[in-house]
Amino acid sequence: MIPTLGHLAVVIGLAATVYAAGAFLLGGRSGDALVLTSARRAMYAAFGLVALACLAMVVSLLTHDFSVLYVARNNATTTPPFYSVISLWAALEGSILFWTLLATGWASLVLYRYRARLPALMPWVGATLALGTAFFFAVMAWPGDPFVRVTPIGLEGNGPNALLQNHPFMGLHPPLLYLGYTGMAIPFAFGMAALITRRTDEEWLAVVRRWTLVPWIFLTAGIVAGAWWSYAVLGWGGYWAWDPVENAALLPWLTATAFIHSSMVAERRGTLRTWTHALVIATFVLTLVGTFLTRSGVVNSVHSFTTSGIGAWFAFAILVTLGVALGLLIWRLPDLGDRRPPGAVVSRESAFLFNNVLFLGVTFAVLFGTLYPVLVEATTGAKASVGAPWFNRVNAPIFVALLFLTGVGPALPWGGASWATVLERFAVPILAGVGVVVAAWALGVQDAAPLGILGLATFVLVVMGDEVVRGARSRARSRGEAAPIAVLRLATRNRRRYGGYLAHVGICVMAVAIAVSATLGIDRTATLRQGESLAIGSYTLTYDQLVTEPLASDPRVIETRAELSLAGPQSGPIATALRDYPNSSTAIATPVVRTALGEDLYVTLLGYNSTAGTATIRVFINPLVMWIWAGGAIVALGALFAIWPDRRRAAVSAAVAARA
Amino acid sequence: MRVPWLRLLIVPLVVLPLAWLLFTGLGRDPRLIPSPLIGKPMPAFVGTTLEGDRFSSADLAGKPAIVNFWASYCIPSCVDEHPVLLDLAERYGEGVQLVGVLVNDTPDGARGFLARYGQVSWPTVLNTDGGISIDYGVTGPPETFFVDARGVVVARHVGPLTAAVVARELAALGLTP
Amino acid sequence: MRRWALPIAVAALLALAALVLVELLRPAAAPTPAEQAQQVAGDLRCPDCQALSVAESQTAAAAAIRRQIVEQLAAGSTPEQVRAYFVARYGEWILLVPTSPFAWWIPAAAVLLGIGGLAWWWRRGRATVAPVMQPVAGRAVREQIRDEVEQLDA
Repeated sequence: MIPTLGHLAVVIGLAATVYAAGAFLLGGRSGDALVLTSARRAMYAAFGLVALACLAMVVSLLTHDFSVLYVARNNATTTPPFYSVISLWAALEGSILFWTLLATGWASLVLYRYRARLPALMPWVGATLALGTAFFFAVMAWPGDPFVRVTPIGLEGNGPNALLQNHPFMGLHPPLLYLGYTGMAIPFAFGMAALITRRTDEEWLAVVRRWTLVPWIFLTAGIVAGAWWSYAVLGWGGYWAWDPVENAALLPWLTATAFIHSSMVAERRGTLRTWTHALVIATFVLTLVGTFLTRSGVVNSVHSFTTSGIGAWFAFAILVTLGVALGLLIWRLPDLGDRRPPGAVVSRESAFLFNNVLFLGVTFAVLFGTLYPVLVEATTGAKASVGAPWFNRVNAPIFVALLFLTGVGPALPWGGASWATVLERFAVPILAGVGVVVAAWALGVQDAAPLGILGLATFVLVVMGDEVVRGARSRARSRGEAAPIAVLRLATRNRRRYGGYLAHVGICVMAVAIAVSATLGIDRTATLRQGESLAIGSYTLTYDQLVTEPLASDPRVIETRAELSLAGPQSGPIATALRDYPNSSTAIATPVVRTALGEDLYVTLLGYNSTAGTATIRVFINPLVMWIWAGGAIVALGALFAIWPDRRRAAVSAAVAARA
Repeated sequence: MRVPWLRLLIVPLVVLPLAWLLFTGLGRDPRLIPSPLIGKPMPAFVGTTLEGDRFSSADLAGKPAIVNFWASYCIPSCVDEHPVLLDLAERYGEGVQLVGVLVNDTPDGARGFLARYGQVSWPTVLNTDGGISIDYGVTGPPETFFVDARGVVVARHVGPLTAAVVARELAALGLTP
Repeated sequence: MRRWALPIAVAALLALAALVLVELLRPAAAPTPAEQAQQVAGDLRCPDCQALSVAESQTAAAAAIRRQIVEQLAAGSTPEQVRAYFVARYGEWILLVPTSPFAWWIPAAAVLLGIGGLAWWWRRGRATVAPVMQPVAGRAVREQIRDEVEQLDA
């Protein structure tokens, strides 16, 4: 009953979005308010319907309704409730259902928020969003029906994929990531509306900046959460493998970041408008490419959902979206002509433009590397691999250049400056950078990569610090405020700038943490007999015993635990395990991670011999890893600070509008 | 509103190559990797069988052979292909020589598998150091190589064998049941 | 105070650069056999995992390959020969880095084209650019202006 209702909700949702698209198009041309209201209501209804469908699926999962094929494949009677609920997005059809929920949610939010504003743009925004969500409803109605039934009904299900029921982050990473992905449809819709109505002035840019930053925050958080999760679960001690689906999440993030920077130039200088539009289109198309790569089976990945006919649908969606958007952009090119010339060569604009070139360079490299195997096979029939060594070698120099630019940008004023003024600003930061490099070298860091990144990060931090100090100092002088209050007031009066600074601080932290953890880690593998010890860094691990027993939370899973004693900066009992899941032919490693401020102790059980009583363990000391996650959080916080509504500014704008 | 038809040609110029790339990509299976051994003499190997006898691939010369890599933990694929192998041994009899090679498995595990799913009449070679699987470029069990009478590898099949595949490959070798 | 800050900073940077250059030009110690093996293992793809290298992977197949790498290097093969050995058995696919030069040239060309495009676009718009103002006031005056602007923010 419930699954049938779920399917019905999807079908009606499809009708609702198709109606909404038509009504928005009609209303857009005629201006009829009634038609437009009905279109909006249809979109709200679509959101309600897909929410019902999700509820139906969650209920089916919780009640282990194995008449539904999706439940039979991804759930079992012993699956804990938490993992049953989050199995909603664990596999192909469910993930599309979840995606549609978020997409219609964003659309409803935007349409509601602007229901009485921007009357020229909103019908076209609505039409674009309605068409986009209609596509996902169509996928669920035909090739990807989550509520397909199966007969005969089994007594037991397959259970979730072993890797997806190992760690609670399964409940965090996909929602954050999908919120980011689906949110990128909003700026795209505004971009299309601006092109269609030829209102390509700064009005749409001001709206779009906020609606890009919010999904950007989610995307950043989602990517970092994904890296953290794979680090904690996969057992190889790393957090980023340039896997095709990791790349798929990174690509729209890169173009969105480029857009955030170029839109500042477009807003202030009226230039780069074509480029900014192109970036908005590229970001959305790349989110579609991302879903295509994950679901089509075209590339091999940890994430690959089962191969299915859905791939062809997504391929069509990508081609149609790209074709229409590109065509529209080319058609309206005359409206997008630059109104003012670019600034001087030494200016913040030029730094932002260079930043864009570099970001797009990384985007191209990552896209090229991900699709290279497909390209090679399509042309020569041979199989090729492109792995982490290639991506690291190609992207590292570009990222280093970007880090350098992060320090240069804030020191350059808008419009232009002379070399003298600019170089003067860099004197102290350069000295600080060199000083830190020398100090780190003296303290024992001999590798080039962490030294270089430390120096650059210091340079960037001191440039920004200098800006803050100058501003606070003049404020303190002119108003007599104490220094800390001056900084606070300055920050809250210039949220965009200071939010940006905070985000850049987060980037510096991440850069240093990544450079250090990638080069200065140590690892050791050993097969231990009972009572034997392994020494690594300042820790000693002693192997006590092997325990095999079913998991308390899911008795179908048999866990073989190697219990060890830890001595060192942290001490006490520690256990690492291999778990045998009924639906997996190989045992899944469940590594244990002990995090401290300076380093992570990471232990994986590689194998064991019950009769001999030995255990083979691999131990890593990964320095500064927690700062990667902390840095990511700082970046997200910085962006949040930047878009936080400024009550004073709002009051001023309202006063101005009232007088007008 | 004039439509710039000439400039709009950029759209198909961008979209069509992308379409070709995406759809040819969809038509291929990224897990199927062509073997560089095809058309070359089969890599020679020696080893001990489950029974303890010595086995050499040189013994296979003169007649077509099938080298089947498997393991007791490879479930359900190896379980699925086991009856196909038993059937093939029965129907083609002396015409083709079967050899099983274990991939990262223990003799006890293998014996357990055979006791459960059916004893075999052909030698099962222990591959304790993994050298034979490396020589054949095996990515994981089950994988099967078809070798002709001259000792040249003619085909590789990744995944469990099916009756259709067996019939096709052995027909290509000129064998009938 | 600030007047001599820039020359000192530049001098410090140049000194550091010189040190780095000396370090780089010094004949590097030959990598130990273990390091060599680790490097080769890092370039090969683990046959039964997703995108991990043989060095990182924990599977038995990867362990077997690592053993063979160590054996072959000890027997005198060069890293190139060891890689070729595995390519002969698994195909090009086993290498994590594609051998085709296109794989390197195309992204490099893309970045260079991007920078070139930027430069060209900039040139094109230069005709109407107003000349950059040289600083007419000293630092003290500029700081005073900054203070007064802050005061205006009422």
